[in-house]
Amino acid sequence: MTAGFQFDLCKRNQLLESKGVKGVSVTKTGTTIAGLVFKDGVVLGADTRSTSGSTVADKNCEKIHFIAPNIYCCGAGTAADTENVTGMISSSLDLHRYATGRESRVVTAMTMLKSHLFRYQGHVSAALVLGGVDFRGPHLFTVYPHGSTDSLPFCTMGSGSLNAMAVFESGYKDNLTREEAVELVANAIKAGIYNDLGSGSNVDICVITKGHVDYLRNHEYLQGKTYQRRQPVVYQKGTTAITKESLVSLSDLTIQDGDATAMDTS
Amino acid sequence: MLAPPPFRLHTPASVGPANASSDNTRSRPAWSPYDDNGGTCVAVAGSDYCIVAASTRLSTGFSILTRDCSKLFKISEQVYIASAGFQGDVRALQKMLQTRNVMYEHIHRKPMSASALAQLLGNNLYYKRFFPYFTWNLCVGLDPEGKGSVYTYDPVGSFERVGFSCQGSGKDLIQPVLDNQLKAASPLVVPAKDWMSALPLEQAQDLVRDAFVSAGERDIYTGDSVEILTITKDGVNKEILDLKKD
Amino acid sequence: MSRYALAFVNINMLGPASSLCLLFKTWTALSARASMGTYISSQTVKKVIEINPYLLGTMAGGAADCQFWLRNLGMQCRLYELKNGHRITVKAASKLLANTLFGYKGMGLSMGTMIAGWDVGGPGLYYVDSDAQRTKGQIFSVGSGSLYAYGILDDGYNFDMEVEDAIELGQRSIYHATYRDAVSGGTVSVYHVTKDGWKKVRGADVGDLHYKYYPDADQHPTYGASPL
Repeated sequence: MTAGFQFDLCKRNQLLESKGVKGVSVTKTGTTIAGLVFKDGVVLGADTRSTSGSTVADKNCEKIHFIAPNIYCCGAGTAADTENVTGMISSSLDLHRYATGRESRVVTAMTMLKSHLFRYQGHVSAALVLGGVDFRGPHLFTVYPHGSTDSLPFCTMGSGSLNAMAVFESGYKDNLTREEAVELVANAIKAGIYNDLGSGSNVDICVITKGHVDYLRNHEYLQGKTYQRRQPVVYQKGTTAITKESLVSLSDLTIQDGDATAMDTS
Repeated sequence: MLAPPPFRLHTPASVGPANASSDNTRSRPAWSPYDDNGGTCVAVAGSDYCIVAASTRLSTGFSILTRDCSKLFKISEQVYIASAGFQGDVRALQKMLQTRNVMYEHIHRKPMSASALAQLLGNNLYYKRFFPYFTWNLCVGLDPEGKGSVYTYDPVGSFERVGFSCQGSGKDLIQPVLDNQLKAASPLVVPAKDWMSALPLEQAQDLVRDAFVSAGERDIYTGDSVEILTITKDGVNKEILDLKKD
Repeated sequence: MSRYALAFVNINMLGPASSLCLLFKTWTALSARASMGTYISSQTVKKVIEINPYLLGTMAGGAADCQFWLRNLGMQCRLYELKNGHRITVKAASKLLANTLFGYKGMGLSMGTMIAGWDVGGPGLYYVDSDAQRTKGQIFSVGSGSLYAYGILDDGYNFDMEVEDAIELGQRSIYHATYRDAVSGGTVSVYHVTKDGWKKVRGADVGDLHYKYYPDADQHPTYGASPL
């Protein structure tokens, strides 16, 4: 085995695709996620729709992932990638805290994420908004799927990022209060929910301040069904015909004694 | 020698891949004459009524172009066309049918029946067999006996008269529900059985409303509102029901 | 040879199509169907197209292509009648269609059709497709389930069979095609053509047929022993 990166499987997959072999369809979180630094900390926001093609796969998913007690991360892109990459970094940081006995730093999480994503050259499709508060104060980063990062006072990601950024650009000020910051982030997410078809349902918010986190799951519940069926159909018993019936009494089954076989762990 | 084909079933001068440039160095994304603007249409025929409904969201990709675009087109007092797919083609089709209806009225001194319009639409879709209208249509109205009639099409003009149908982006979600709730015998069964919706009008309307609200929950291209027309011998009733806006 | 007839057996689905035709001493049977991806766009599409009271066409391949060109054939046949003062033969009608399709050869039409009918010479049956191939025959089966149908058809067919037996053979052939071919299903139609024109004699849901032919699930040939 030589040193360096291997992309044999990527090449193979590309070849198969060009020959007309269809890849598996993955759940993409066509998403609006956003983050904002305010006076005392960081506010993260996300919508809760996850889509598979043009179908809504989950109407109320969680896109704000736990990284460390003082760090959270919003994820856009392929759902499996964002969930696993944040989970991996979360557990690494956990071990790191056991080893050092100190609170995790946001830059550490950011560096681990970017090096992992760079290693995979964009094939791990996770676009992240990482926020947290450590001993140096509040930090907010965006991490792109290829491994580049930004450090900004406010940022957005996902298919609804332009809608959300429009709200940020018009409403952002330095040193916002907590209430103002939460409202601005919620409005940014709502811009994505209403105007971007990949985003929808509810607003999740996470407020991280020094020594405290408020995870506001479903901070805003936007719209329920607009009509309830007045004459719902009740299926009568026997609607599905029984063509064959057989009863097996489990109490009559005999349990055979014998030597237990060890589980194959090779 | 054989005569040339009777119809010009034409294909555009060039719809090939646009990046096959002569120097093979530059490429641009292939231009497409089509777009998919989404939307869902439903129609139900009853013994003395006809319901036709369509969502009003117009979208492209992940963007909403407008939340209030009617996909129903009135041909005459009792005959409507509902169309999903590419709105550019939908408008071209509507304009052509409108023109043909005016010509028909001048010649025959009466509006086209649903069955006449159904055949006209089928023919005109087929005339563009090799460069199709990217549209999914329903032709809806009352037949001469006052019964509801629904005709359902594919983009190149295959059509049949049915008791109910659904077209557009929400089709995969709604059609199975209609099949289940309105299940009627096939018109091909011998001895013949009634194949139209046996539901009273109010129950059919209830079903259509629920179908759209439910499709709006899961289909990202169905939303904003739905326009529901009920056609009876007494006239046409229009109702607008709000759907979710996300 | 006074009771020549023609029957169509029809499987109704929009999808890869299959159809079959039989020509018997007393009658001919024929069936057809078509498809569209994995989505069943219709369970009730008419696979047998009634061109005129004496001519039937079956549908396999593109539904629109078949519908349009068989309707167009109906027009050509009527014009022939007006011009010549007598009905067109099945031979001539099928050739009109084949000539039309030859004009569009290579342009992407997709049709596999059987033209069946009655003329001065008795029953006639032709296979015509979008390659403009035209073949005369006594039995045909076309479409995705056609091979399954041929299996039953070849086993049970003989030219001198009785009308009732032939109708049943046609229906069973299509039923078994729907049983093995995932994209075939819906309704089986059977048409019977005599000197007085065609008459639809059967129209049965394949689900109902299944329970008619195999009322007891345990007796079905593919029944496997219960794991319990």
